[in-house]
Amino acid sequence: MTAIPLRYRVPWKKILVSVLALVFAAYLVLPFYWIVAMSFMTEADANSLPPQWIPDQPTLENYRAFVDPTAAQALVGGRAVKETPFALGNSLLVATLTALLNLLLAVFAAYSFSRLNFRGSRVLLILYLVTRMVPGVAIIVPFYLLMRQLDLLDTYWALILSYTTFALPVTIWVLKDFFRAVPRELEDAARVDRCGWFRTMWSVVLPISAPGLVAAAVFSFMTAWNEFMFALFLTSTTAAKTMPVIAANFATDINTQFTVMAASGVLAVLPPLVLVLIFQRLIVTGMAAGSVKG
Amino acid sequence: MTAPAKTRKPWSDTARGYAMNAPALLALLLLVAYPIGYSFWVSLHRDNLAQPAVRKFIGLDNYLSLVDDPVFLCSLGVSALFVLTVVGATVLLGLAMALVLNETFFGRGVLRSLVLLPWAMPGVVNGLMWRTVFDAKTGALNGLLTDLGWIDEYQAWLSSATGAFLLTAFAQVWNTLPFAVIILLAGLSTIPGELYDAATVDRAGPWQRFREVTLPWLLHPLLIVLILETMNAFRAFDTIYVLTGGGPGDATATVALLTVQRVLSYTDVGLGSAYAWVITLITMVVSVGYVGLLYRRGSFEV
Repeated sequence: MTAIPLRYRVPWKKILVSVLALVFAAYLVLPFYWIVAMSFMTEADANSLPPQWIPDQPTLENYRAFVDPTAAQALVGGRAVKETPFALGNSLLVATLTALLNLLLAVFAAYSFSRLNFRGSRVLLILYLVTRMVPGVAIIVPFYLLMRQLDLLDTYWALILSYTTFALPVTIWVLKDFFRAVPRELEDAARVDRCGWFRTMWSVVLPISAPGLVAAAVFSFMTAWNEFMFALFLTSTTAAKTMPVIAANFATDINTQFTVMAASGVLAVLPPLVLVLIFQRLIVTGMAAGSVKG
Repeated sequence: MTAPAKTRKPWSDTARGYAMNAPALLALLLLVAYPIGYSFWVSLHRDNLAQPAVRKFIGLDNYLSLVDDPVFLCSLGVSALFVLTVVGATVLLGLAMALVLNETFFGRGVLRSLVLLPWAMPGVVNGLMWRTVFDAKTGALNGLLTDLGWIDEYQAWLSSATGAFLLTAFAQVWNTLPFAVIILLAGLSTIPGELYDAATVDRAGPWQRFREVTLPWLLHPLLIVLILETMNAFRAFDTIYVLTGGGPGDATATVALLTVQRVLSYTDVGLGSAYAWVITLITMVVSVGYVGLLYRRGSFEV
C-alpha cells in the first residue's frame, strides 16, 4: 500500500511566492499594456464603455498619423503630431552624443581613480558625487542664462552639455569600479612591452572593461532620453525639441485623441525599452556595482 | 658602465591624476559650479525677465519672503507628504519584490526583465500613461473596478484632492520602483547561504530569519535606496506636471513644480532661484547625513 508520505507538507512558501510573482507581473505590465492596446484602437473603440481590453478592430492609423496625419488628427493633436518625427530624431541624436561625450570625459577620470594613488583623489570622487546631488531646478535658470550668452538656446548642444553634467558623475563612478576589476598583471605586461599609460589603457584596460563602457553608455543615453525639465526650458522649436517635450504637449492639450497620445507614448518608450532589454544584465551589474559599494 | 634600467617618470602620480581629471572637472566647473554660484547671486536680486528695468540687489529678501509665503509653505508640506508616501511605498514594495525575485520559481528570469520596464519609461510618458488609466470617462481603472463590481459608477479620480495626491504618488512609485528592487536584490545576493542554514538549524522561523539574517545585511542597500529615492521624490517633476499640473487646487503642487512655474510662467528668476536654493539646501542636508551614516558604518569605500 502506498501511503501518503508521512511528512508531506503543503508548500505554502512556494505557493505564496508564485502568487506574489503573478501579482507583481500584472502590476508591472498592465498599465503599459493599456497604452499599447490603446495605441492600436480606433477613436470609437477607445471611447467605448466599458473599455475594451483587446482592440476590437486593431488599426495602425494612430502611428500613421505621425507621418501623414488626416485632417482630424492634424487638428486635434495640433502641432504635436507634426513635430513627433523631428522630436524622435532629436532625442536619438542628443542621447547618443551625450553617451559618447560622457564616455570620452569619464574614461580618463575613472582610470586615474582605479590606478593612481594621488593626493585628494577621495575628495575629488566625493566632489563628483556631490555635483550629482544638486537638483536640476537649482541650476536651470543660470544654465538657461549661460546658454543664452553662448547663443546655444534651442540647439542640441545646450541639451548635450546639460545632460553630460547629470550623467558624468555616475559614469565616472561606474567605470572606476569596472577598471579596478582589471587584473594589474595585464597592465604590467603591457608596460614591459614599453606601452605608455595611454596605450595600456587603450589596448588593454578598455577592451576588458567593455561591459562597463556599455553599461555606462546606456545609463547616459537613458538619462538624456528621459529628461524633460531642461528640454522644456532650453528648446523651443523642432530644431531641438525632444520626445518628452512633445509627449507633454500631447498630455496637456485637452483636445488630443487618447489613441494618438498613446501611440506617441509607445514611440517615446521604445528606444530606451529596447536598450534595457538588450543590456539588462549589464545594467543590473552596473547599477548594483555603482550603488551597493557606495 | 651600465646605467640602471631607465625608469621614465616625468610625471608624478598626482600631476597625472589631476591631468586626467581635468576634462571632467572643467566641464563640471563650467556647467555646474558656475551656474550654482550664479544662481545664488540671482536669488539675492529682484529679477524678473519680463521687467529687466526693475532688476535690483535686495539681499536675503527673497528668502525672507518665503518664510511667510503661504503658497510656498503649502508646497513644502505637499512635498514632505509626497516624499514620505512615495519613499515608504517604494521601500516596502521594492523589498517585497526583491525578496520574491530572490526565490526560485517558474518564470523568474521573465519577471526580472519585467521589473526594468518602468525604469525605461520617461517620466513624462509615465504621467501620460497613468492619465489614460485614471481617466474619468474611459480610463482602465474605472473599467476594471466596474468589471470587478467594486464601484457602481465611474469616478473622476483626479479631481478630488486626496485622490489626485494618492494617484500621483502611485504613478511616481511605479516609475521609481525598479531602482529600489535592483539595489535590494544585489544586496540580497551577497548574503551567504550558510547563515540561513545555521538559522534553520537553530529552528528560527521565517520572520526570525528575516529579522536576524536578512535585515542586518540589507541595511546598507536599504539606506541607499531610502536616501536616493528621497532625493528623487523631492525633485519629482515630470510625472506630476503631466498628470495633474499641481492641481486640483494645490493638492499636488510640490516645491519642484512651483519652482518651475515661478520661473517658466512668471519669469521671476530671482524668487525662483531662491526656491531652488531651498531645495538645494534640503537635498544637501540629506546627502551629508547619508554620506555621514555610510562612513560611520565603515561601508563607504572610495
